[in-house]
Amino acid sequence: MNFWINFWTIFFIASLTLFAGMAIVVSIGGFFNIRSLFKSL
Amino acid sequence: MDWNAVGIESNFSSLDWCIVVGYLFVIVAVGVYIKRYITNVTDFMVAGRGLKTFLAIATMIGTELGLVTVMYSAQKGFTGGFAAFHIALAAAIVTLVVGLTGFIVVPLRRMKIMTIPEFYERRFGRGVRILGGTILAFSGILNMGMFLKAGSIFVMGITGMTEDIHLKIIMSVLLGMVLLYTVLGGMVSIVVLDYIQFVVLSFSLLAASLLSIRYLGWDNIIETVSRMKGEAGFNPFHSEGFGASYVVWMFFLGLVSCAVWQTAVIRACSAENIRTVKKIYIWASIGFLIRFLIPYFFGICAFVYISQHESLRSIFMPDSGSVDSQVTLMAMPVFLSQILPAGFIGIISAGMLAAFMSTHDSYLLCWSSVLTQDVVAPWFKKGLSSKTRLLLTRIFIVAIGIFILVWGLWYDLGQDLWDYMAISGAIYFTGAIALLVFGLYWKRASKVGAYLALICGFCAILGLKPIQALLGMDVSSAIVGLTVIALAIVLMVVGSLLFPDRGKPSEHKE
Repeated sequence: MNFWINFWTIFFIASLTLFAGMAIVVSIGGFFNIRSLFKSL
Repeated sequence: MDWNAVGIESNFSSLDWCIVVGYLFVIVAVGVYIKRYITNVTDFMVAGRGLKTFLAIATMIGTELGLVTVMYSAQKGFTGGFAAFHIALAAAIVTLVVGLTGFIVVPLRRMKIMTIPEFYERRFGRGVRILGGTILAFSGILNMGMFLKAGSIFVMGITGMTEDIHLKIIMSVLLGMVLLYTVLGGMVSIVVLDYIQFVVLSFSLLAASLLSIRYLGWDNIIETVSRMKGEAGFNPFHSEGFGASYVVWMFFLGLVSCAVWQTAVIRACSAENIRTVKKIYIWASIGFLIRFLIPYFFGICAFVYISQHESLRSIFMPDSGSVDSQVTLMAMPVFLSQILPAGFIGIISAGMLAAFMSTHDSYLLCWSSVLTQDVVAPWFKKGLSSKTRLLLTRIFIVAIGIFILVWGLWYDLGQDLWDYMAISGAIYFTGAIALLVFGLYWKRASKVGAYLALICGFCAILGLKPIQALLGMDVSSAIVGLTVIALAIVLMVVGSLLFPDRGKPSEHKE
């Protein structure tokens, strides 16, 4: 059982960190994408 | 359930109500404002197809993060513990593999297909399209049959409403809002709204996760789950938990939700080019992972919180052992209403409700279009005028809306909502997998094989608990689903070999 506890703990922390990083990058990048989209429209 | 009697009071305040109403109003206003920029169909297509990478990812995840997803996933976390994480892992792995290999989605994009029944006609003929479209619409509408109820249970749980009459009132009000939103038209396609959804929901879900860990303590969460559920709470292969067959079934579900389900196929096929399709799927693997993972964690936290509050434990974990599915659905919103501060609950609820409306909007449009384009229109040799199509689509939207209201009030789940969703979707996708894989990658796949595989998919309905109770059987939905998939593949192969198509092969075969 210890294997699974450690596995899911690492998996959860890694996924959350990955998603947090992606959310920040995508939010900033998406904002500039929207600006250029509006410009072209 | 009477929360007041057990001394439970939601943190949801009048400030939160103001935030919810204000947020929904702003979302609609932004939609109406942006509509001015979308002056014609070309602009609309530019906005939909020419998306740059970051915005494409934001809209994709914004679409995937719906309230219903959060509700059924949290219920699975509540009943399955950390072992439920394997479903998120399976979804991420399969989506990543589809992104790297282009399995199913790249050939579909190459054929410039926009709906699965359209592929059926191009590959197997008009009759298969009509039957396939009928099964797809039936399965899809049944699949969304519990959406309204799940959304209403969230509102009840988070605001602290308790009476049965509240459920009926909320369901009716939400349906009215959804129909109004859909009739306003095209809102969901406006990428800016999806972007706003992505930003609000991503950061509020991350913050709620951290608040949950801070409130309960990580060691306490692990210790409580291992004490209450034992190894089955962590090991997905454990016979008292999910079991190996369920894990295999989840890998199939992962493939279906990213490459076979109609709403996902539309996204793949409207991408700029094949390279973009692959890129979107590689990034989507993180979205598919997180849309399950965080709600599972909320469900686990709700389990820990409730197990440590005697008054709540008597409702959610009675000594008799059996709990109604509607009760376990309520666990996550009740937990959030207890630990999140006023103001923040309003933001997360508003984001969830806006996502709920856009999910309904896209699903209602999706299934009503399938009924109009793939079931009704092929019967008319001269085709239908665009005016008739629009009228039919609107009639179907209202009819489906009334159906999900009645179905949500009447149908007795008897199983986790996720398992209901999987098995109702299986009526369509068990046959569709056989038609897509063999239709795209096997030249000898024939019309007879396609008919047999599609009809076989109907057997998946045996996975629904009320049907099983009627027939006096008790088989896990995973076993039913996997058996039907295997049977559909066998029928596809045998039917094609015994009754091959006459004439030259279709030009569209891969």
